[in-house]
Amino acid sequence: MTSDMDVHVQQVVAQVPGADPKKVEEAFVRYEKDFMVPPEDAFRSVLRRFQSDLGEVKPATGGASSSAALPNRKVNRFSELKGDDRNIEIEVKITTHNPRVQMIRGEEKQIAFGSVEDMPWAEGEGELWDYKDWGHNQNLSPGAIVRLEGVSVNEYQGKMSLNINQSSRIVVLQEGSRDVVNPSEPVEISSVKGEGMVTVVGRVLASREDVIHRKDGSGTLDVVRGRIGDDSGVIGFLSWEPFTHEVGSLVKIQHAQVRSFRNTPELNIGRSTKVEVYRDTNFTSLDDLSVLTVSKIEDLTDGNRDVECVVEVQNILVRTFSKEGGEEGKVWSGEVADPTGRCRMSCWQQPPFTEADLPVIVKITGARVRAWQGIPDITVDSAEQIELLASPPWEKDLDLSENVVEVELNSLTSGASRVGISTAGTIVSIRDDSGLIRRCSDCKRVLREGACATHGEQEGVEDVRLRMVLDDGSATLSLIVNRDACLTLLSSTEDEIKDRITADGQAVFVQSLRERMLGRKLTAVGRTIVDEQGAMLLAESCTIEVVDTVLLAAELRQHWGVA
Amino acid sequence: MVITRRSPRQPAWHMLASEFSESSLHEKGSGEFDPSFVITKLGAKANRLIVAGLIERLEPRETANGSTLYQGQLRDPSGLHYFSVGDYATEAMREMVIDLAARIESGESLMLLMVAKARWFQNEEGSVYTSLRPEEACIISPSVYREWLAKACEQTLIRLDAQQKTASLETNRASLSEAGIPEHLIDGLILAKPHYGEFDSEMYRFNIMQALDIIENKDIVREKPTPKEETFEQREETPQAKEEPASESDLKQTILELIDALDQGEGVDFDTLLSNAAARGHERDAAEAMLDELSDGGEIHEPRFGWFKRT
Repeated sequence: MTSDMDVHVQQVVAQVPGADPKKVEEAFVRYEKDFMVPPEDAFRSVLRRFQSDLGEVKPATGGASSSAALPNRKVNRFSELKGDDRNIEIEVKITTHNPRVQMIRGEEKQIAFGSVEDMPWAEGEGELWDYKDWGHNQNLSPGAIVRLEGVSVNEYQGKMSLNINQSSRIVVLQEGSRDVVNPSEPVEISSVKGEGMVTVVGRVLASREDVIHRKDGSGTLDVVRGRIGDDSGVIGFLSWEPFTHEVGSLVKIQHAQVRSFRNTPELNIGRSTKVEVYRDTNFTSLDDLSVLTVSKIEDLTDGNRDVECVVEVQNILVRTFSKEGGEEGKVWSGEVADPTGRCRMSCWQQPPFTEADLPVIVKITGARVRAWQGIPDITVDSAEQIELLASPPWEKDLDLSENVVEVELNSLTSGASRVGISTAGTIVSIRDDSGLIRRCSDCKRVLREGACATHGEQEGVEDVRLRMVLDDGSATLSLIVNRDACLTLLSSTEDEIKDRITADGQAVFVQSLRERMLGRKLTAVGRTIVDEQGAMLLAESCTIEVVDTVLLAAELRQHWGVA
Repeated sequence: MVITRRSPRQPAWHMLASEFSESSLHEKGSGEFDPSFVITKLGAKANRLIVAGLIERLEPRETANGSTLYQGQLRDPSGLHYFSVGDYATEAMREMVIDLAARIESGESLMLLMVAKARWFQNEEGSVYTSLRPEEACIISPSVYREWLAKACEQTLIRLDAQQKTASLETNRASLSEAGIPEHLIDGLILAKPHYGEFDSEMYRFNIMQALDIIENKDIVREKPTPKEETFEQREETPQAKEEPASESDLKQTILELIDALDQGEGVDFDTLLSNAAARGHERDAAEAMLDELSDGGEIHEPRFGWFKRT
């Protein structure tokens, strides 16, 4: 809840970091009660008082305003800023600007939010930050390049944003010219990403009532969850307001807030969102859109909801566990595949097939996707969500148990984690710790100086692995080659490797690996884990490609017309 | 909470020496961990390169602070890469370079492949010089060298194509993206275009041609062939050219074909002809003699000194 008072208190605290918000509020209350001065008028006085209290300001000379006494720090890029920086001067391009009217104690208050990009003069170079304008500045318009003077940085849960304060100054350097996404103009659903405000036109594909339990136990909220789609894609929505449009109806959703849950964007329909029936007889029919809504395994990411997919169940295991209260629970989990890849599935009720029926083709609806170590897990809460199919929608002969999907290296590093993939690239690094390692006998982690981080000093178990970097010229991934793949790749036994390391030393051994492999093309089969640290490929098998260079040269001449 | 936005590992660009050495544009981010880049005329925004060639020189140099800096040159068909290995390099790299320097000193010819960081230096007059700091390197066989050449040619051709397309496009991300310019080239091309302006990229195409010639003839031009060549495991792979020199009529044919292929109107220069003939297994002396013979016989003429044309 942001009250009128809070806004002002925040601004004072933003400018005077040492000020106690409670005391600031008291000061405002005193001005309002004792002097009948509303907070917006009292702002300067309060600000000045706290600045001088905390020695923030030198004795003012003449009538200079207090904020002018604080020198602005000029920066060029957002990356130079820290979470508690104030009085910043920076040139930015306004990319979005959404004015908002808030009713506060019967009074309308104009604030605005949006995003700005730094390095406005270098095309396509900037970083995007959100901002909030507390000063009701009229000269902020999308596309404009402006110099912001006296703004402060706000850091909330690791996300940085700018506060344009009432005392900030905005100098327009270039009027808005570039086309900026207008939050009132419909966009393609597939282009909805990250955060922001959008308008879309789409057909309701799914809709169901749901209840959210407040975490503090103070009650429940009725919401509607569902999905809407257009030709370009499908997106989930969450409506905090009654949503009565039936499946199949075409709607225009104006000013929906986009929020991302585990990297999956979702439309939030709230009080300020307008949902209305849209008329367009040419809009893609529900049947055609339904085909679009069937997910492929390669598209699944952590946090997906209401997923519909057709997969082959390859194996399944029942696991029992004790619920809270000692009751016994069961979960069926196993591996599933489709022509685009493999992943896991968990089912919290007995599925309508047994192990003896495997492999079976099933259609799963309304599932959630979670991910463990990057591998998607299709989570099914009730057996009714599973429908047995007589035949797969893909070619019958396709043997999915051995199916490996070839994926370009650069699409592996940007996408979700994948299982059962193969990719190729140039080996650009062979890490010094490749070769023999010792693993903890309890948790299999690599021992560092003879000790495991959690299980302490020990002998450990010997293992062989290679650590390399694979590169396709536009992206890189760390490649970890397991024992078997490693021995095959080096056509060597563990003992031979051991003997060589003992005889020549680790450094000579790794250098010999470089002489064999650095700069060569390698194809790796395995699974990937993609996170903030980058992409890692755990390889089950690897082959150094023998390139027919003469043929390649001939192809190059042909393709590019080199005489 | 301090959030460190560390960039992911930068990819390595397969690049011939000419493209790298002609670069004069660089970029350094302002953050502590921001990578720095050298931006080439063809729009490669490179922080890391993968290069290969013959080590031409590798010598230690005492620096002002008493440490030893090894400086070397790597020759590929298009020119030279300059590299240096100093105290900042990994121990493995330093040990390797000491060993390499000793072998070069003793007269060995060595082909090296290295993954290296792109560095730039600007002197007082404002000229920019590029150089490399190897991270990892290894001695390679001619077959691996050819593999690298082929990949470097392919990548350079892709860049050439993108650079040419960019020339007629509006210089912004959207129009480049729409024209199908590969995503990883867009940033660099946007920066390169205003900096380098228009330039003649014919030399790059010529370098590629030379490199492809080398690949197809399964032989590598060595400036100074030495008896130590036996150290290459690929001895059996190198063609018979050395043992049975190509016949004279073959040489004549080769030179005439080269002139046909390379003549852009002004004729073909002496050096280019000889090095291409050498790439095809003909000794320089023999090729020079053949040039004289063809000139005397009137089959070719010399419109200006050192440039040859078909009559």
